[in-house]
Amino acid sequence: MSLKPTIGIETHIELNTNTKMFCRCAVVDTDEPNISLCPTCIGLPGALPVPNKKAIEFITLLALSTGCEITSKGMFHRKNYFYPDLPKNYQISQFDLPVGLNGELEIVIDENKDYIQIERVHMEEDTGKSSHSGSGRIESATSTALDFNRSGVPLVEIVTKPVISSSKQAVAYIEELRQLSIDLNISEGRLEKGNLRFDANISVAPEGSTELGTKVEIKNMNSLRSLERAIDYEIQRQTKAFEEGVEIVQETRHWDENKEMTSTMRSKEGSADYRYFSDPDLPDMLLSEDFIAEVETLMPLLPKAQREELMTTGLSLSQSNILSKSDEWIKKLYVKVFDQTKDSVASYNWITGELQGQMRKANIEVLPEWFNDGYLPEIIELIKSDKISFTSAKIILTEILTTDTTPSKVAEENNLYQENDSEKISEMINQIIQENQDIVDRIKSGEDKLVGFLVGQLMKQSNGSVNPGMAKELLLKELED
Amino acid sequence: MSDEFNIKNIAKLASINLSEEEQDSLSNDLSIILEHVNALSDLKLNSQQQEIFIHPLEKELELQDDEVVESLTHDEAISNAPESKDGKFVVPPSME
Repeated sequence: MSLKPTIGIETHIELNTNTKMFCRCAVVDTDEPNISLCPTCIGLPGALPVPNKKAIEFITLLALSTGCEITSKGMFHRKNYFYPDLPKNYQISQFDLPVGLNGELEIVIDENKDYIQIERVHMEEDTGKSSHSGSGRIESATSTALDFNRSGVPLVEIVTKPVISSSKQAVAYIEELRQLSIDLNISEGRLEKGNLRFDANISVAPEGSTELGTKVEIKNMNSLRSLERAIDYEIQRQTKAFEEGVEIVQETRHWDENKEMTSTMRSKEGSADYRYFSDPDLPDMLLSEDFIAEVETLMPLLPKAQREELMTTGLSLSQSNILSKSDEWIKKLYVKVFDQTKDSVASYNWITGELQGQMRKANIEVLPEWFNDGYLPEIIELIKSDKISFTSAKIILTEILTTDTTPSKVAEENNLYQENDSEKISEMINQIIQENQDIVDRIKSGEDKLVGFLVGQLMKQSNGSVNPGMAKELLLKELED
Repeated sequence: MSDEFNIKNIAKLASINLSEEEQDSLSNDLSIILEHVNALSDLKLNSQQQEIFIHPLEKELELQDDEVVESLTHDEAISNAPESKDGKFVVPPSME
């Protein structure tokens, strides 16, 4: 029997506000513990929460950008639990009236588009960080130490419907969501810093079945690579259990990056176990039409629209997708280079290939100040008009990345301009033929491969300045005569 | 043991220890409360009445601008911690 996996993803995005969700403590990025605290975020008696306007704007912006219906009368709920990472003994979240409902996100895999349905977009406050002391395994810790700097930092949680069917789709979804949060300017989107955290709910069921299998939640996936591998592992584990008739238990499992497997963390709480109830400290959240209209004015060009725009220049869907997920300066540079060259393929290849490749190799993070928008178009034009070879163009690029000069100056100073004068090339060919009469004889007796050797000699003698295509053509003609 | 709830589970969620006796008496109390609350579902309410949320605050939600206000110093914040180490609050071991 063939089985079909079903995946839903819950993502928490840390919002890049200056202050926390319910108090005006600064959001800090530091290892120094407990330096940004107040009575509200450490749960002292009598402290009252007041929401951060910017955070509500950001969450509404994300909900609008994913086409969600906005709940005009939202509510804050208390999610009750006793882990010490939130000293209030509850987390302020949203339950049945979140900011946004029923949205959708377009994702791209290779040359295909797909749509991931979003169930809800809501606010949640982050928890403090706990670390466990004692020797060996986490279970044998002797105490838990807490840093509450992160306690109360605003998060937006995005929950998909169970519509994802592979790890590849899951990765494309997270990549899209990450780019969206960066373009909306609501998050830095840095996975390695925990700006984006995701859990996956996975189940398997027989193909064609209308009911979903028992879902298992996977936590602790810190990178796109671990997301992909954890999902693949879990699908395999559940498929094997199903085939062997072993019951799949509803539980939370932990992805172990080193062992490359998931293991039981705890039996899963149902939502009733959190005893959600509306937070009596916080009145209903009314999002007026004026407020929503104001938020809409902040909407940038979304990744989906960016792709559509890029495709009008002649790029494929996958190329447009790669560009739409690149740094802002790369997107801008592409537009400028394309505007001047009207050659989408050359512009794309030079920017995403050679330029970024050389910058990575030389550890250059930003283009130097002198690097003019006209430089790449100039290089592309020099190649197109056969004035320089591709190899010379790469040398020119290296020079202008490290020295304040121009492509034409580099070409001139290093004799990189190609010799396109057929008479001059023929003269050089005649000389090569005279010097290598034995090779010429062997070519004439059928050893065609040796033509390459003569072209090589010619390139060597001319310091690479001869147009190689032209040289080969002329050489063959000469040999025939 | 009530059919509608598991008193042991509720005690666990509330993080309290209950003796057998307390479990029995609280089960009785909770059953009576549940019965009383269940009576509410017999009320015939129209959709508008159902939409009324009971909220102790009859006021609009106030939002604050995203501007930092200094509050507790590190030493003040941690002064009431039963135990602390390396600037962190230390509590009995607890993990998810």
